[in-house]
Amino acid sequence: MTGKEEIKEVRKYLQQSHDRIFENNKKWAEEMRKKKPEFFTDLSAGQAPEYLWIGCSDSRIPAEAITGLEPGEMFIHRNIANLVNNIDLNVMSVVNYAVRHLKVKHIVVCGHYGCGGVKAAMTPKDMGLLNPWLRNIRDVYRLHQDELDAITEEEAKYDRLVELNVYEQCRNIIKTAAVQQCWAKNEFPVVHGWVFGFSDGLLKDLKFDHEGQLKEIQKIYNLTQEQDG
Amino acid sequence: MPTYIDPIDHILAGNRTYQQHTTQCDPDAFTNLAQGQAPDILWIGCADSRIPETTVCHCKPGDIFVHRNIANTVHADDLNAASVVEYAVTHLKVKKVVVCGHTKCGGANAALGDADLGQTLNTWLHPVRELRRRHKIELDKLPSDDARSARVAELNVQQSIEVLKQHPAVKRAVSERRLTLHGLIYDIGAGQLKILDDSGSKKTTGLWSPN
Repeated sequence: MTGKEEIKEVRKYLQQSHDRIFENNKKWAEEMRKKKPEFFTDLSAGQAPEYLWIGCSDSRIPAEAITGLEPGEMFIHRNIANLVNNIDLNVMSVVNYAVRHLKVKHIVVCGHYGCGGVKAAMTPKDMGLLNPWLRNIRDVYRLHQDELDAITEEEAKYDRLVELNVYEQCRNIIKTAAVQQCWAKNEFPVVHGWVFGFSDGLLKDLKFDHEGQLKEIQKIYNLTQEQDG
Repeated sequence: MPTYIDPIDHILAGNRTYQQHTTQCDPDAFTNLAQGQAPDILWIGCADSRIPETTVCHCKPGDIFVHRNIANTVHADDLNAASVVEYAVTHLKVKKVVVCGHTKCGGANAALGDADLGQTLNTWLHPVRELRRRHKIELDKLPSDDARSARVAELNVQQSIEVLKQHPAVKRAVSERRLTLHGLIYDIGAGQLKILDDSGSKKTTGLWSPN
């Protein structure tokens, strides 16, 4: 194949993989309308999701699909390794909007075993632009160093780090003013920590103790009292 | 009276159904997924619950790498989105980056006015409000707030793409392996995706120009 033909082939492939999404979308919209003719009209009236999901960007964990929910039921933020960082305006805007404006009842932080982000964070290597983001995971390790150092088997160590990362992110959500103030008034949202496993496709509930943790956290991070003015 | 189902039990039950159904269709599905991911597409979309990307694109788990935030906004100084882009483009080597806005977007609606949404959201939506100011004459001519918000959503997609083009990993991948960027709008009332061309107007086919 000459260079020119090769470029043509690549272009054809790109166009096809691109068109596939649009063909699929058309099929899906038709199927939904057949099942429920008013489905899209109802959706355009607004959203009132019960859940906020903070999950990993990983392509294998589409939140609504793995929880059997339909469009309109779950507000979603996905980033590398499902992190909730205090000074990250992106995730803080999502939490704020979901809690203060949509008044979600549950916030789920969902990690997953075999997380590439967690693995990358524990690689002793300069990851360039990813360094500051992944640093958060190294910090989780340091917080739980005794427990993690004691695990000798490599995979078991990663699995545990994935779980501990979810715990810490749940705690980070509880540290926000939005969550503390909404809870004080309404006794929601409740924060949950889960892990998704590819080996069986099931969600594991880490049994994050929302109320107990809130009490513990507020000893230092109490933001219940609202701003003046 | 309908029986009350705890919302958390509801989605955990949904997960068990998903697991059983997936295994019935393909007994190796999860074993294969556990091997790793090689998605072709990075999707930057809105956190809005009405646009689950994998569902509305009729795709399978493993097809689309995802970042979703308020109003699918990409800020040049946002480390969260920049890290997702870096990982997807440099490490996973996705072939396409898609920014998908939508009609009836709460973020775009909020950007039509200057209501105080609190410091966090005010700062986050600032660039979208700036877009509204820059395009005031055009927006004022539109017949309704719905139309204005839909247009702001388009302009915002376009702006996010402009920011993405400056990301070092994207720049490299565009010139070295022909990565392409695409702007989409999802029409919530119709369930349909529309593609935007370079100037931000509607176009039925075609790829985003790589330069």
